[in-house]
Amino acid sequence: MKLPTLLRTGAAALALATAAGLATPAHAAGISLVETGSSLLYPLFNLWVASYSTAHPDVSITTTSTGSGAGISQSIQGLVQIGASDAYLSDAMVKAHPEMLNIPLGISSQAINYNLPGITHLHLTGPILAGIYEGKITNWNDPAIAAANPGVTLPNHVIIPIHRIDGSGDTFIFSQYLAFSDAGWSSTEHYGTSISWPAVAGGIGANGNPGMVTALKNNPYGIAYIGISFADQVKAAKLGQAELLNKAGNYVLPTPETISAAAASVASTTPADERISMVFAPGANAYPIVNYEYAIVKTSQPDAATAKAIRKFLSWCVQGGNVPAYLDKVHFMALPAAVKTLSVTQIDKIK
Amino acid sequence: MTLRPFRLLVLCISLMIPAALCAVVLFLAGYAGQAISFNGLHFLWDVNWNLGDLYGDPVTVNGITIPPGAEYGVLAFIAGTLASSGLAIFIAVPLSVGAAIFLAEAVPVLENHARDRLSWLPPIRPALAMLVELVAVVPSVVFGLWGIAVLVPFLGHYISPTGNGYGLLAAAIVLALMITPIIASTLYDALLQVPKENRESAFALGSTHFEVVTKAMMPMVRSTLAGGIVLALGRALGETMAVLMVSGGGLNMLPTSLFSPISTIASFIVSQLDSAESDPTSMSVKALAEIAFVLFIITLAVNVAAKLLSSGALNVRSRKA
Repeated sequence: MKLPTLLRTGAAALALATAAGLATPAHAAGISLVETGSSLLYPLFNLWVASYSTAHPDVSITTTSTGSGAGISQSIQGLVQIGASDAYLSDAMVKAHPEMLNIPLGISSQAINYNLPGITHLHLTGPILAGIYEGKITNWNDPAIAAANPGVTLPNHVIIPIHRIDGSGDTFIFSQYLAFSDAGWSSTEHYGTSISWPAVAGGIGANGNPGMVTALKNNPYGIAYIGISFADQVKAAKLGQAELLNKAGNYVLPTPETISAAAASVASTTPADERISMVFAPGANAYPIVNYEYAIVKTSQPDAATAKAIRKFLSWCVQGGNVPAYLDKVHFMALPAAVKTLSVTQIDKIK
Repeated sequence: MTLRPFRLLVLCISLMIPAALCAVVLFLAGYAGQAISFNGLHFLWDVNWNLGDLYGDPVTVNGITIPPGAEYGVLAFIAGTLASSGLAIFIAVPLSVGAAIFLAEAVPVLENHARDRLSWLPPIRPALAMLVELVAVVPSVVFGLWGIAVLVPFLGHYISPTGNGYGLLAAAIVLALMITPIIASTLYDALLQVPKENRESAFALGSTHFEVVTKAMMPMVRSTLAGGIVLALGRALGETMAVLMVSGGGLNMLPTSLFSPISTIASFIVSQLDSAESDPTSMSVKALAEIAFVLFIITLAVNVAAKLLSSGALNVRSRKA
């Protein structure tokens, strides 16, 4: 007798729980949106959503950090309404899924950092970095590095190139810089969120930007590419930051001025679908590794109310939310006015 | 025959487990099918892995659409997996045998009069045994974090000739710490099962304590030890996060020294999946499913070996009865 009673009680409890679970969405007055993807955009989305939700209690937005690839694939499958990605969709991807929009939400950039005590701003170029990551330039006092840094005493030590082991938008823009400035890299390694890294005996693969900072800190004579959002941690670890050669032939550091200069030089050529690389942009003062951070959204949403909620939220992100109060905390830059207009035009297509 | 709802319910529930396993295998094999036919057998001994140019226009090779330049070879990952797990076993076995013998034989047991006076003390042996088992439930990411914060800098500063602590040895040490408690607790339980008579008669014949352990007790638990090692190997082969954090992520190369960067199959799948998902041809994900299938076969072989060895252990015990 005891067991069936127990079973029945259990079943009743289960039924109740199920009913309660099903009832919750029905009772909620508003609409719930889910954002997933880029771990670089995730902190910014959290700042945005917190402010936006207070002003708009009828919409609940859940943010998750899964990686750009997951953001792309889940928004295509319709599992989430907003996918976040550091990289725009490829031509082949757009051909296969013409209903997907690439909407820039902000501008990010990347620093090349190194662990060489006493040398603060080394001059580096795309071909030098390509040589290091291909294993062709193995020593810090290599003639190519010396030629770019007259007057600097370079250590006679093996270089430890550190790359991202996980798929990443940082790998995407770093490999774009190498591909756009070095013909050899362009024809062999190409660019993408994961690269088939050439075998370099002393090289290290690190997991995530925090792993990159730790690996560089732990390895004197190392070099790494690290997203600008981690600039504070890099500074605290006393790591050097490279001045990079841009398309115009000048060495520049990633500063608000040089990043804005890159953004401004691409703003006028940004096409209507906004899929364009800002890497190695023209402009005398333009920093070479800069990118748009994207929301990947489907034009056709299941219902009009959801579409309206997405339009409203994203419009706020590229206008009211695109201000230093939010962006500065993650070292992002605001979109130029012309790009904001393009983004709004794209957002209006969500139906 | 009367209808027995409870029995039916339990039967259905118990059938779900093998059904889920079959579903996973069928899915893996089916999903990876195109990759298997594209890669052929040289998949297994090709060292180079390249997802290809995911931003280039897909090309068609032998009727299958792939990203340009895509090349899938898993030898480096099979080598990394076997090398790190093998080395981990090599480090963990002496540690765990020592720990198990210490717990079963060398922990001081209090005499009666002392026990009365020190009754507030927790019993030492169970407390220590529990500590060993506790290490087995520490989440692997904690080991990884320890590896990256303590072990890797230590190896880099004091051991590694290049100053770089990431790589095969770091991965093997982290794995060894994770699997030591598995082997130690299996062996400890087995040592407690050795009949008192064997132990005492060995003492009566004038054996030293060392001889009692090595000659009278260890031979009885040899197959249990082997079973424990194989179980631990299963865990080490499939470990993902801790390895990913300290292995240095070697690509396109086979390990040549203790400090070579490596990738294991499990950690490699995790690190590549996100990029693979943005492949318009979805060939990348299928190739990853194929590696997962390879890992599945390796771990299956290990577990079958464990089953065979532990049934051997049962034979030893039945002999003493």
